Amino acid sequence: MLLVLSEEHKEHLSFLPKVDVAVVAEFGRIALEFLRRGTSRKIYEGAARKLCVPVEMVQHGVEGLMFLMTESSKHMISEVDFLDSVLVLGFGEELNQILLQLYLQHHSQIRSVLTLLSSNMPAYHNVEWRLDVQLASRSIRHQAIPMLTLRLLLTRGRDGSTDHSRVLQTDPSTLLHLISTLEAALAAMKTSHTRRILRNIK
Amino acid sequence: MRFRFCGDLDCPDWVLAEISTLAKISSVKMKLLCAQVLKDLLGEGIDYDKVVKLTADAKFDSGDIKASVAVLSFIFSSAAKHDVDSESLSSELQQLGLPKEHTTGLCKSYEDKHTALQDKLRQTSLRLGNLEAVSWRVDYTLSSSVLMEVNEPVIQLKLQAKGAESGSMETTVVSVSSDKFRVLLAELKQAQAMMNALQ
Repeated sequence: MLLVLSEEHKEHLSFLPKVDVAVVAEFGRIALEFLRRGTSRKIYEGAARKLCVPVEMVQHGVEGLMFLMTESSKHMISEVDFLDSVLVLGFGEELNQILLQLYLQHHSQIRSVLTLLSSNMPAYHNVEWRLDVQLASRSIRHQAIPMLTLRLLLTRGRDGSTDHSRVLQTDPSTLLHLISTLEAALAAMKTSHTRRILRNIK
Repeated sequence: MRFRFCGDLDCPDWVLAEISTLAKISSVKMKLLCAQVLKDLLGEGIDYDKVVKLTADAKFDSGDIKASVAVLSFIFSSAAKHDVDSESLSSELQQLGLPKEHTTGLCKSYEDKHTALQDKLRQTSLRLGNLEAVSWRVDYTLSSSVLMEVNEPVIQLKLQAKGAESGSMETTVVSVSSDKFRVLLAELKQAQAMMNALQ
């Protein structure tokens, strides 16, 4: 598929042919560093001073490059499609090749950074449990109430660094119901309907 | 096949696969590796460089080293969890294909540290809101803004406990009048008597 670049985007990128090829390579490196770590205003200002152009122009150029890279990596476009999309900007052959090299070298890294942004639902990480029997309380003695206490450790996001924990308590009959529901869910994976879908996703 | 050390369930496939990896090192090195893994399980930390040196002869790459440490951790902790004696463990591991000398070394290490391992596992079992520290102070209130002569003792209790869900230290400060405190003490003494009866 071809990337369609907006007019504003093309305008931002039109800064690139006006500078040296080495500078474009440097901008490419800065753009990828920013994708990994976040932007830094000082670098824009330093570059603008060296090239004697306004800071906004440098910023737009680098941001335009970042957007081009993320959009291309997002759609996993092939080399030919990337070159065709970039052709519309009217850059020289050398510049196109540099952009292509930048894309090919880094698109898998960019994709892994992009996957970190996606999931924001807590996911199961670990579970700890204990089985207790309540023997007495302040109001009533000589009881025997079995209870299961569960601590669910969940992670938020793909890196798994932030851990939430939820504590749950259940009696044996609810536990049995929980187990049978989860086993039914697991059995649903083995139905022919699911198998057909899984075969076709491959 | 049901195995006692897996809790009367099937042995996981990865354990079967890694047992054959374990068979590649000599039985002497195996015993030293077991000692390292047991140190890690007891919370004393593992000396990874020593482990690398032990497995260097058999030319383990980093994946194999991690796999052998993982399978030994699983065997020890699972056997301690299900309270398996070392003869049963020995026969079950030999059924899975671990050579006899390796099994003997492993089971000897297991038998030595069996009680310590179970104690450590007991300590790390799930507990919510552990009470860590209690401090108290008795004050005597002389007077207040609403009553000139109060003349009452009051206790300030500071309880430091680990939060149930968060797991971090939470401090609770309560002040208790002497009557309420008497009731609290009587109830807690009854609970303590019940706990002692169970010991």
